Amino acid sequence: MLNVRAAFGRAYPRAIGAIREPSWTFFDVLLPLLGIAAYIYYYRALGADPAFEGFVVLGGAMTAFWLNVLWGMAAQLYWEKETGNLQLFLVTPMSRMALLAGMALGGMFAAGIRALSTLLLGILLFNVNMVVVDPLLLVAVFMVTLIAIYGMGMMFASLFMLYGRDAWNISNLLQEPIYLVSGFYFPVKALGPWVSLIAAVIPITLGLDAMRQELFGPVANGLMPVVWELTILVVLAVAFLVMARWSLEYMEGLGRKEGRLTLRWQ
Amino acid sequence: MAVTSHLRTLRQAAWLGWQMESNWTRPWLFIIYSIVRPIAATLILVVMFLVVKQGVANDPLMFTYTYLGAVFFMFVAQVLLGATYVIMEDREHYQTLRQIYIAPISLHVYIIGRSLSKVLLTSLSAIISMAFGLLVLRLPIDLLRVDWPLFALSMLIGLGCILSIGIALAGITFLTAKHSTGINEGIGGVFYLFCGTLFPLTVLPPWGQSIGMAIPITYWLELMRRSLYPAGGIETISGLGEFSNPAILLLLAASALVFLGLSLLIFWFADRMARKAGKVDMTTTY
Amino acid sequence: MPPAVEVTALSRVFVGKSPVVALDNVDLDVEEGELFGLLGPNGAGKTTLIKILSTLLLPSKGSAKVLGYDVAKETSKIRPLINMVSGGEISGYGLLTVRENLWMFSQFYGIPGKVANERIDALLHAFGLEDKADVKVRTISTGQRQRMNIIRGFVTDPRLIFLDEPTLGLDVQTSRAIRDYIRTWVRSQEGRTLLLTTHYMREAEELCDRVAIIDRGTILACDSPEGLKRRMNRASTFVLDTTHFDSSVISNIAGVKGVSAEAMKEGLRIKLVVEDESAISDIISSVGASGGKVLGLNKSEPTLEDVFIKLVGRGLE
Repeated sequence: MLNVRAAFGRAYPRAIGAIREPSWTFFDVLLPLLGIAAYIYYYRALGADPAFEGFVVLGGAMTAFWLNVLWGMAAQLYWEKETGNLQLFLVTPMSRMALLAGMALGGMFAAGIRALSTLLLGILLFNVNMVVVDPLLLVAVFMVTLIAIYGMGMMFASLFMLYGRDAWNISNLLQEPIYLVSGFYFPVKALGPWVSLIAAVIPITLGLDAMRQELFGPVANGLMPVVWELTILVVLAVAFLVMARWSLEYMEGLGRKEGRLTLRWQ
Repeated sequence: MAVTSHLRTLRQAAWLGWQMESNWTRPWLFIIYSIVRPIAATLILVVMFLVVKQGVANDPLMFTYTYLGAVFFMFVAQVLLGATYVIMEDREHYQTLRQIYIAPISLHVYIIGRSLSKVLLTSLSAIISMAFGLLVLRLPIDLLRVDWPLFALSMLIGLGCILSIGIALAGITFLTAKHSTGINEGIGGVFYLFCGTLFPLTVLPPWGQSIGMAIPITYWLELMRRSLYPAGGIETISGLGEFSNPAILLLLAASALVFLGLSLLIFWFADRMARKAGKVDMTTTY
Repeated sequence: MPPAVEVTALSRVFVGKSPVVALDNVDLDVEEGELFGLLGPNGAGKTTLIKILSTLLLPSKGSAKVLGYDVAKETSKIRPLINMVSGGEISGYGLLTVRENLWMFSQFYGIPGKVANERIDALLHAFGLEDKADVKVRTISTGQRQRMNIIRGFVTDPRLIFLDEPTLGLDVQTSRAIRDYIRTWVRSQEGRTLLLTTHYMREAEELCDRVAIIDRGTILACDSPEGLKRRMNRASTFVLDTTHFDSSVISNIAGVKGVSAEAMKEGLRIKLVVEDESAISDIISSVGASGGKVLGLNKSEPTLEDVFIKLVGRGLE
């Protein structure tokens, strides 16, 4: 019960904080639409199949989650350390996984609203057509993808906890390069079988590929059948959660040993 | 006296900016880190092109148009990021903004100085991207035929203009909380969409084209393309074919001046608002 | 019943280019129900000790037990029973209200919502912060923020609370309110223990049942404030007012155990601890010889500050 309360306690500021500062709607929903629109017009200029415009909207919506994983998860414990909160969290009896789960749940909620807004506005503004073949499979892919990418974020959070600005910088580095190799705006298969298979270690790659296949059919040029992708995603989700737990324990122990849990302004 | 003081501020701020950006790791790692992101952003567009057109040779003019737009847009994205992060980092992270704010220096000069490291690093990214474009992607650009004077002059005016827009955004950042997406990306998005960065202006609806024609970045990117690829026919697809090079240069200079004035006004207003609302040294993490 | 804190031969070294010995072979016991003070200058090792006891840092050598549990191995048993507040800390999130921040931290201890809210209300009232309960934390003053931090520490009703410089930089009234609450809290229920670090002599003297004087990672003495003062037995304390001069010459005079000079508007106020009162005539002569002039000399009752000067050889401030 303690850990459920703790997770909810940590999720609260995420959920309420993101809504309370109203400027987020402008910054996090309307402004990213500009980039999405640019890519859509780019595809139009190239004479691409209209489904590609749908790829962009879907990729743009999932960007909300990916950015949240990078900035709200991976770099967060580092940020908590910098602001002095980390030591207060670590003297509490809650499980560290509950802390990360709270961050993830709150983050998913906030990013979910953003993703949904982006998706709806994108569909409305650019007349994107999506046909859901198997809604249950789509929901399963989406949920497992979320668990897997947030699991990955939890693992990064623990790994980056003790490091200085490297954490921030690695998060920074995982934006455009991941949009590229994970195929946020085009079928990932276009990168060739080897690059796309290596990129599949990042769960968002297979998640996006599967969702594209579910929503746009054969034009999505999928990397492998959706059910296979779902299975791999489940394995990745479990693996990242286990690694997150392990790395968190290890890094906290290391931090206590080296006195780096409370070191600021690195 | 004032000029000396501004130069000193500029030098110190540039040094500080460089230190803050680079002191976390070894220099070579820092350089790689700094150029990977913008180059990846350019490669996304390359792959999008290839997915649809199946090869550069199938539409070399359009490819050159997009590639050059993407390469020079890095300056817009990175400088705007640098300028807004001056405020965000100094205020939220290092919490030194209040000391800088009350110091007897020009905040405009400080912001420009801090952004200069971004200009330097973006130049490196742009050079590498151009080399990649020429050698690997076979961009049809002949370096001996480049109109270098036009390129240099346009680059100078363009950079000045981008820095002045950076000042305005830094001002607005005074008033906003820390979000995952910053105003820099938002305004950058406006320029990305409306300035003919990736696709000719004519693809946009008429109202969108009008917005693009009012922004200096549109003319700057056009001049970058025309100077690097003279007589290549870029102007035939850009939607600005009716304007000669001097006319576009004039349009760039005039619109850049208007933007400079606007930026100073926005900064002044935002600064006053921030002081009024007590937001100069707020922290907004959640 | 085990002591609330039991520290044996504890050392902590921060390794690096130039290793820093923050704690050096420290032995210390704090009994349950005690209001215990660690008194020492900045960098003495107080915060390092608190961090070790609150499970944030591992010892390099030696052992430390909190409420009978080993800080290195039994953290999960210690954490539900303790809490920690540091002076000047910025806890929680600026976008949340005072109440929301306190509630959030209470959840990290698994306190049921109703109980948490009742405690928060009672503590906000006790610290005069009710009117700020629903105000965003980023808009409240430093003093109000520190009162919120203190409430955060007590809202979990710990058996042992660590307060690291809790009144640092606060005004007199707020500091007094905090001290009053601390005293009441420890006495109101059996088994509550408080370990306080401070470099304010008065605070330690006024609050603590026992005080340990710590400097450069070593405990120099540990006793009740009265007990510590009694250690001054043969030593005498004087306050010497002079015009400005180089007071460092005094510490070299035979019989002088400690000197602490404070610059005043019209000259220096020098606190002296001497083993032999006959040293006073030498001191007065040295003032004249160094270009100073004696403005006044008074014998004083020993304070904790005098004990500190005697033990450390210099003043605290």
